[in-house]
Amino acid sequence: MDELKLLREMRSDIPIVKDSVIERGHERLLQRIAPEHKKRNKRRRTKGLRIAMGSLATLALVTALVVGNVVGLAGWRGAASAEAAEALNHAAELTIKTADPVVGPGQYLKIESTNLWPSGAAGASPAGYDGPPSKQWFWLDTEKIATYIPANRQDEWVMVRSGRIPTTFFDAETKDFVQKTQGLQGATPQTWRGKGGAFQDGPSGMPSESDLASLPRNPYLLLNSIYKQSLGKGDSLDSQAMIEIAALLRTGLVPADLRAALYKAAAMIPGVTLVDKQATLDGQVGIAIGRVERNAVRKDIIIDPVTGQLIGERTVTLQADGPIPAGTAGEWTTIRTTVVDSAP
Amino acid sequence: MTTDSDIIRGSGENPQVFTALYDKYARMIYRYAARRAGESAAEDVMAETFLIAFERRDSFDHAWADARPWLFGIATNLLRKHHRTEAKILKVLAKSSGRDAYADSTERIAEQLDAAAATSALAAALRKLSAVDRECILLYAWAELNYEGIAEATKVPIGTVRSRLNRARRILKAAAGSHQNNTEEADHGRAQTTA
Repeated sequence: MDELKLLREMRSDIPIVKDSVIERGHERLLQRIAPEHKKRNKRRRTKGLRIAMGSLATLALVTALVVGNVVGLAGWRGAASAEAAEALNHAAELTIKTADPVVGPGQYLKIESTNLWPSGAAGASPAGYDGPPSKQWFWLDTEKIATYIPANRQDEWVMVRSGRIPTTFFDAETKDFVQKTQGLQGATPQTWRGKGGAFQDGPSGMPSESDLASLPRNPYLLLNSIYKQSLGKGDSLDSQAMIEIAALLRTGLVPADLRAALYKAAAMIPGVTLVDKQATLDGQVGIAIGRVERNAVRKDIIIDPVTGQLIGERTVTLQADGPIPAGTAGEWTTIRTTVVDSAP
Repeated sequence: MTTDSDIIRGSGENPQVFTALYDKYARMIYRYAARRAGESAAEDVMAETFLIAFERRDSFDHAWADARPWLFGIATNLLRKHHRTEAKILKVLAKSSGRDAYADSTERIAEQLDAAAATSALAAALRKLSAVDRECILLYAWAELNYEGIAEATKVPIGTVRSRLNRARRILKAAAGSHQNNTEEADHGRAQTTA
């Protein structure tokens, strides 16, 4: 890589400028242009379909898809394996019968998640600031998060985070390094508060009630709308669709009817298979349904076979990666949803 | 087709038209300023750039259809006020190879760490450049202006732009090279899975 290419990539990860910043600048300019100008009501932005147009083929696909969710990619390019489809459809039947927890006035929906995330560090360069790192280390961190969502979702949400705690090491040397550099007790716990789920001034990372309500309950239409979201992202349309489904389920906010539709949609994705009837995730046993991407990783969702509830989701590495052995779940999340009377 | 020059001309008659230029380029100026001096400086630089541009729209050279060199020139001047912040960012980046990385896969983390090492070498080199050489190379690499555009933005002859860019590239190349030569050693034989 030449120096210009490196320079072009440097600091290219600047977050997208917030609409509010653009609005403020626009407002200041209008004030200057026409001092008599009155502050307008915020323009309502209609979210267009955001799609990365990678190629002409994608463009043609988009054109076909924009016609509506009816005409799309779901269903005619194959489906999940028979075993996986049966397990998913059965889970859908079960889950539709479970009643979602009802959050009364003043109460909170509490979503507890345990998350395992990959982590790494690089040693300072022996050649001063101008050289490569002396060494790299990889390990896994665990973080427990409890999110309290008020009955009225516009009110204040509370998120209690344990901070990332280094928990899984693949060799003694890495454990030593982490112990010396940051200790093993992990980061300080934090409590975040944000109206409507907007923590740290950022927009809410959770789907809104209207987002969830607007998703089709017909699995075929639902999968088409997910494919539309996935176009141009990830490694392939199908693997990205599986990732989107797992990400949505992982929020713990998905109502039973939509959960059932998501399971049935996953049953229509080519390449989805039944991975393990007895998969253990964070001490809970369930059915693992997954899809392999690039021969390198497999994205699984784990479902309780008795209730159809989602236990969690995980990403399994299929090839040894440095010190990390093949078959390691290098990343997972489990969720548990309850109703509580108060938030911290 | 409406060019930037048309927009600026039209704004003589109807000043409101000028907001079209803002809508077109505000994000681009913000991004450039944020890469150089961080997000809080970027908000100011972005807003100020367009206020100044509006005030001075009569001085726009209509030989240019494209307003970008002009706008980046204004932003470059404004960014000089933030040189301390920029220096601080480069200093942090230069030390950044020992930082932890987090991502959704070890493969990505390794990429991030490699990138961090390359970035730290480049940041150290950028700090060594004179302010005018740094402005010049960043207008080239981050604002994507060509030689003529940079000459227009910084109000210097094109020959000066050429020699500044050559000088800056030489220094960055040496830094990138010292990083590149040793990447094999840095990988510690990790199997690189290709995406």
